[in-house]
Amino acid sequence: MKRFLILTKAMTLMHLRNGYVLFWNFAFPVLLMVIYGAIMSQFMDYMTPGVIVLNALSFGLVSSSTMMLEMREKGVLRRLQATPLPAVQLIGSYLLVNIVIGVLQSALIIVAGVLLYKVNVTAMGLLIAYPMILFGLLAFMALGGIISGVSAKSGSATAIGMTIYFLLMFISDMIFPLDMLPNWLQNVVPYLPAYPVAQLVRSAMLEATLDPKWMTHILLLLAYGIGATFIAAKLFRWEPKT
Amino acid sequence: MKQQSMIDVKNVTAAYGALTALNGVSLNVQKGEIFGLLGPNGAGKTTLLASVEGLHKPKQGDVHVGGISVQADPVATKRQLGIQLQKTALLDDLTVAELVEVYAALYEVYLTSKEIDSLLARFDLVEKRNTLARRLSGGQQQRLALAVAIANDPQIVLLDEPTSALDPHARRAVWDIVRQLHDEGRTIVLTTHAMEEAEALCGRIAIIDRGQIVACDTPSALIANLKLNSMLKATVELPLDQVRALPEVSAARYTGQYLEVESARPEVTLTALHELAARSGRSVRDVALRQPNLEDVFLKLTGRALVESN
Repeated sequence: MKRFLILTKAMTLMHLRNGYVLFWNFAFPVLLMVIYGAIMSQFMDYMTPGVIVLNALSFGLVSSSTMMLEMREKGVLRRLQATPLPAVQLIGSYLLVNIVIGVLQSALIIVAGVLLYKVNVTAMGLLIAYPMILFGLLAFMALGGIISGVSAKSGSATAIGMTIYFLLMFISDMIFPLDMLPNWLQNVVPYLPAYPVAQLVRSAMLEATLDPKWMTHILLLLAYGIGATFIAAKLFRWEPKT
Repeated sequence: MKQQSMIDVKNVTAAYGALTALNGVSLNVQKGEIFGLLGPNGAGKTTLLASVEGLHKPKQGDVHVGGISVQADPVATKRQLGIQLQKTALLDDLTVAELVEVYAALYEVYLTSKEIDSLLARFDLVEKRNTLARRLSGGQQQRLALAVAIANDPQIVLLDEPTSALDPHARRAVWDIVRQLHDEGRTIVLTTHAMEEAEALCGRIAIIDRGQIVACDTPSALIANLKLNSMLKATVELPLDQVRALPEVSAARYTGQYLEVESARPEVTLTALHELAARSGRSVRDVALRQPNLEDVFLKLTGRALVESN
């Protein structure tokens, strides 16, 4: 346990001392709120849950694996592999730090919404929303793990992650309403990972209630999370592809 | 006194896809020795170390560390090892002191701040304890990699080209550290393609080329067993066929302006060379005598020069 704690402290310090990580994880979410607010300030009550989910999506698919990919490319993971540290402790410690970052990001977005745009947030709404955000984060991060596993370099991981991000952003009922999409796509989207998170977080934050289909959404996210974690674990590599 | 085997490699064959990196390699490292793996880049030195470190799974053969099979119990063997990889890659967003603390903790060794400073003092890094690792110079990073390698107080230390890319001053500082570690009773295995490093540090050397060990002994025995000749070097212009006919000469050639003559008895050859030069109305200048070294051993055993083949 002591080893895990020391490693987690080290991982935290590394994230806090990395300018790239700091900008994309803490400055960018607030910037995102400012950009959305500049365009549609009167709809920020409605937009804020969407921004939280969009941010969690980009964080999970791309940003959360950046440092791990860097460590793999630089040979740091290989050096760690030469120690008796079990892989599960390394990944567990890394995930823990990233989950905390993901949760803090959503808090920053909410604080920015309240302070800048007087977004209406209730305690009950937050109480319901946070577990849903957490479900979403875990599923997105597991999917990000698959992307890291199949990518030879961090650049290609970012490209794959951002492509999926933009695709899901436009079709998952966050920017455009679902009924604007073609019929066949309307039938597919509810089974994609971003849509259930958007529904769960939106109804929690706007109405302080669970979405009527919350059970289905959560089961779907669990399936994505567990399935993707399993695949990501199989694809995990200590060294870059040669 | 009975010697204790610390590393035992038996008939190891390793490959990367279709490329065979090691071909039936066997060797044994005894407790308390500095053992060198000498060979050009791509010879298989790093793969051999990686097999001992548990980072590369051989296709065939066995590796034991401290009597434990690496394949059967990699965690137990890793605990006995201190490792410095060829490419220094540490968690470089951490400070020097944090790094030492973390790497020791990975072995479940928990150092106090005082113990960390004491370790850093040995590597002349105390003043850098709060500096981020990525801000250190190349020599300091290499010393830090060595400090990290022994943070878990291992009995066996594996160093993969510990002085590559270092200037002569930094290289000598690393040599001193390696000698200190040896004086503490640790067993050290290091790889190098620098002949002078192997000669300066190693009690025994395995010469490795194209995935095979071509010789293994003490540096002096390697040189003596091959009955290599000394090399006379001088500035003089003489026909090579006449030089080759001088007593005790086994080979002669011109390298640039220098005449190089291999001789079993250089004092006899030098006298004859002076006489030959005098008869031709010339003089022998800039005479230098070089004893055979590991470079010559490598050339003799592989037909290639150690440096040229890098």
